[in-house]
This record gives sequence, C-alpha cells and structure tokens, in this order.
Amino acid sequence: MALEFDRSIIGKVFDETSFPAVTTEEIVDYAVSLGETNPLYTDEVAAATGPHGGLIASPTFVTKLRAQKFTPEHLPKFGKVGFDGGRDLELHAPVRPGDELVMLSTIHDIYEKTGRTGSMYFIVIRNEVRNQKGETVAVIDHRIMQR
Amino acid sequence: MNTLYFDEIEEGDELPALDLFLSKDGVRQFAKTAGMYFPRFTDDEGARAEGLPGMIAPGVMSMGLLARMISDWNPAAVVKRIGTTFRSPVLPDCNVHLRGAVTQKNEEDHTADCDIWMENDDGERWVVGTATVTLPSKA
Repeated sequence: MALEFDRSIIGKVFDETSFPAVTTEEIVDYAVSLGETNPLYTDEVAAATGPHGGLIASPTFVTKLRAQKFTPEHLPKFGKVGFDGGRDLELHAPVRPGDELVMLSTIHDIYEKTGRTGSMYFIVIRNEVRNQKGETVAVIDHRIMQR
Repeated sequence: MNTLYFDEIEEGDELPALDLFLSKDGVRQFAKTAGMYFPRFTDDEGARAEGLPGMIAPGVMSMGLLARMISDWNPAAVVKRIGTTFRSPVLPDCNVHLRGAVTQKNEEDHTADCDIWMENDDGERWVVGTATVTLPSKA
C-alpha cells in the first residue's frame, strides 16, 4: 500500500536555526560526559600540537544541536506514537571552538514498513549543519518511527 | 594512546571492548551537557508520566559511547560516518558493553568499515550500527 501524502514537503527547507559560537567549554564538557579521554576533544593545550592544530568536537557533538522547529507545520500524522528510531551521521569537517553553526532542516524521506506487529511509518528528518564559512560540517538523518 | 595505522588492521579485527556501568547520574550529566534535560532522561517519575517504564538514556548518548569506543581503539581514527538504530530503550543503572569489529578495509581511501553495537549483560543488542573511519597511513 502506497503512503498517500503531498510529496512536495520532501526536500524543502522548513527550518534554519543559527547557534551561538561553539565554546571550548561546551566541547570539553560534552566529551567528558561520554568519558572521552582523547586529548583532541578534551585538552586544549595537548590538542594544539595535534593534527588539527587545536581542539575539535567529538564526532557526535552535532547531535546536541536543536532546531527551532522539529518538523514542518503541515507534516501529516501517520501513527499514534512516535519513537526515536535512530540516527545516521555523516561528518565532513571538524567542529572547532568559535564556529558559528547553522542547521538547515528538511524532510528527507517518508516510508512505510510492514513487520510482524503491523505497519510502521518512518519519517527521516535531515539536519545539515554548516559553519560560518558555508562548509557543510555534518549531515544528520534522524529516523522517527511512528505506529 | 597509540595510533593504529591502516596497514596494521585486518578485516575481522575486533575493537577493544568498552564495558561500562551506565549510572543514572551519568545519564543526567550527559543530558545536561547535550541540552536534553527532559524528564524522560532525568528521573523515573517524570519518565513514567510519559508512559515509559522508567528513566531512559538518550539514544544519542549510546551513539556517543559507540564513537568513544572507536576513539579509545584508535585516537587517530577520523569518523566519517556513524549510523545507529535504537532497538530498545536503554534503562540506566545497568552494565552496558560496547563492541565492534572491522568488516571491510578500503584500500583506495584508507577507510575501514566497522560493525558497532551496544549490548546488555544477557547479550541483547540494544543499539546496533555501522561506522566508517579513516585511518592514518605510514606511507
């Protein structure tokens, strides 16, 4: 059964959120809360002589960025309950202290899967994170499962 | 910390296991620094009010711990891609075991594909995923 909805919502940017400049403290606190000991993420002084010439954020740091609008206004509802199904994260460039990040959100895909317990609907929200130079630093695909 | 080079790894290599006790305080601390200080991640009562069996760990925390396992294995590895599926809510105050293995080495770009997962004491895989990392080369 094909899902019926207005496909024009797919791929359109429905939110653009700008964040205050990333701080060293934020990067270190995030890494430490995961128990990271890699000096690239936790030690400003040691990281200065490392491959990036300074501290960088640990890989999943960008998942802490929250868009102003989580979903577009007219997103059709497919199920009663929503679950966090998972994330796919592509990393293109490191995040550093002082970076002013912008996140662009689109609906990347909506699809249906039928399993043992019936139909489930997946909404994939794509968050593209860019830095102040306009470079894409990360693309996060967030799968919301509804049933 | 020791750098591991592309030439030194082989398909089938297991990443060193990361075994942790996931405490409620640890989850609260993560939730705070990740800007996710919501009832479901901070206390049992708040989580139950949302229909959950008790306080849970954010999915992205499990993902972050899997990334840490990669960093512990090889601090010089650069994560290019990491994907995770959250199969089951993670209820803290339990042991978690983070595991991984190299599934493919890609000569052309010096990357390695890995299977990664988090399991409980009974071997149930609560979070499963894959990662692609670039490894340094001696050449």
